[in-house]
Amino acid sequence: MSHTPSPNTQTTIVEEIIDFIDERVGLKLLVAKMLNEPVPGGSRWAYVFGSLLLFIFIMQAITGVLLMFYYVPTADHAYASTQYILHDVDYGWFLLGYHFWGSTAMVICVFAHMSQVFLWGAYKKPRELIWLVGLALFGIVMGFGFTGYLLPWDQRAYWATTVGVEIMDKTPLIGDFLARFLKGGATPGQMTLSRFFVIHVMVLPAALMGLAGLHLFLFRSAGPAGPFRGTPEELKAKTDYFFPRQIWKDIVGMATVFACICALAFWEPVVLLDEATPDPGDYHPEPEWYFLFLFQLLRLKMFSGEFGQFVGAMLLPGAFLGLLAVLPFIDKDPERNIFKRPVALIGWVVVMAAILIFTISAIINREFLD
Amino acid sequence: MQPKLKSKVRGADQEIGEVIKVIVDPLSHEISDLVVSVSGTEDRQVPMCAVETVTDGLVELRMSRADFLEFAPFKREDYVTTHEVEIPHLEDHLDVTPGEVLVPFPELERNVKRRTFFTNLTHVIGLFIGLPLAFPVLKYLMKPMYSPFDNGWLKIGNVGKIKADDAGTQFKYKRKVKEAYLPEAEIEKNVWVLKATPAVLEKVYQGKDMEFRDALGKTIWTNKKDVPYIAFSGKCPHLGCGFKWRQHKVLGQVFLCPCHLSIYDASGKVLDGPAPRPLDPLPIQISASGEVQIIDMEFKAGTKSQTRIV
Repeated sequence: MSHTPSPNTQTTIVEEIIDFIDERVGLKLLVAKMLNEPVPGGSRWAYVFGSLLLFIFIMQAITGVLLMFYYVPTADHAYASTQYILHDVDYGWFLLGYHFWGSTAMVICVFAHMSQVFLWGAYKKPRELIWLVGLALFGIVMGFGFTGYLLPWDQRAYWATTVGVEIMDKTPLIGDFLARFLKGGATPGQMTLSRFFVIHVMVLPAALMGLAGLHLFLFRSAGPAGPFRGTPEELKAKTDYFFPRQIWKDIVGMATVFACICALAFWEPVVLLDEATPDPGDYHPEPEWYFLFLFQLLRLKMFSGEFGQFVGAMLLPGAFLGLLAVLPFIDKDPERNIFKRPVALIGWVVVMAAILIFTISAIINREFLD
Repeated sequence: MQPKLKSKVRGADQEIGEVIKVIVDPLSHEISDLVVSVSGTEDRQVPMCAVETVTDGLVELRMSRADFLEFAPFKREDYVTTHEVEIPHLEDHLDVTPGEVLVPFPELERNVKRRTFFTNLTHVIGLFIGLPLAFPVLKYLMKPMYSPFDNGWLKIGNVGKIKADDAGTQFKYKRKVKEAYLPEAEIEKNVWVLKATPAVLEKVYQGKDMEFRDALGKTIWTNKKDVPYIAFSGKCPHLGCGFKWRQHKVLGQVFLCPCHLSIYDASGKVLDGPAPRPLDPLPIQISASGEVQIIDMEFKAGTKSQTRIV
């Protein structure tokens, strides 16, 4: 091995401890394996999003556990305990704000990560399974957002859940069962809160950890795809290991994300509305920003009526996700250069533009409601 | 054929030495160089392009021994072993091990019959553990999902609150709920009550009394077509938000849902927006003193037909 210390240097206590562990579990080899992964064509800023997601998830888990020290998931205490965290517990406003803005950062990074993989053509053979597991992870992240939104039990939470579950009710065959199952009854109440809570803090984290582990394992099995341009000689000349250059870029990305989330938690603190009741009062219900485009879509006349609503709320998103799932199996062209894949490029631009336009029009619509 | 470790290396004129290391390209997984030991001098690194032929146990080079010695000596510090680096599927592409490394197959494992039987038995026992749990777990989780309807009358206020005909007036009321073992709690709800003119009444009732039936088809209550008061459930039939009585620029006074912008006229008819059916009238009765009572019902949103869920 290349890292054997020269005999005349004195080993420190730390080195001795490391050697002790290394002798038993092969630590150094493991670390070397983790860090010495050739990145074809070299490290890039475009590759940071996967690591950022892992970082954001870990921070969400830490802040989430801390919030549970005070949060009580019951209909009569959820709101008060959240207000207590926000206003009375030292730095509670910060931890809750971090968790709230962390979820937004998560969604942004998921979009960026998926876009990068799509544009780089990295979902193609032999990486189809990584893409599929990634889609499942996308679903889990959305599930986190949806279930977490209810927990403060304010009006915003209550109405986003009411409408969201009504949409799930439109699933063919199992819709009614699914909606009642999630609500734990016919209307949102304590059972809904209990269910969303346990899904948010137990079911989804376990699912995410398992699938993220699988995602990484599959990624390591296939190896990084590398850039979509360049001859093998050029790629080889630029190849470096995951450590240090890519890790350096990753850690700079993490620090940036951390600083942004902290800044948002500080300058845009979480403010709860009134406690949840089935009477919305003057509140105009609206989902979290990343569901706004879907919300606005359902306002369109073309998605009116029972069938139109099914098309807008179920068929269209379902077909889109289905298309993403089969993408690596129908797109068998090994060409990865996005500039030589016009359908993929136009498709991506159209989807992003549509999401942007619908989100903005939902925001503009707000004015006309007041 | 790939060069093997320990293969003899021969130049164009004479024997040179033997292959002691193989260098692999991490991206293509192809062997790029050989390290050849030479007696009396340092090991040399030879690119594969200098190799003429590879046969079993022998690598023949294109050049003479003298030319071979022009190659740079091998620098170990420029390389890492494949144990220290993560290159997936490297073994699938390489065949450079000088031989198989073996461990003895345990005595007890030899000639075991019914290996498949044991595999299947393991799965069956697993199913015996899992299957009996499926139904209890499902029933456990389903406990609160379906509950009977409450057809009791609730007092919600006095008609004196209604100032104009054919205009929506919100009546807020509290409803007691009891969930699971929890103490009884009150939730705030609301309905929209209308003092309707005959024209609007006609649109709502279409000349017929409106009957409300329970699950068994027994009539609970009948809204008479000539009673001028109508109560609409506060839940928008589109996706369940709360709608309001609002002034609309073009359509005048309407019921408008701020969620997906469904618009209904005073009779509950859909004027615009995505709603699949009109607003849901509730059973209503007015006492001689003007006290309004309703039966609190909720219907599934987003469907063309009414399905009661509360």
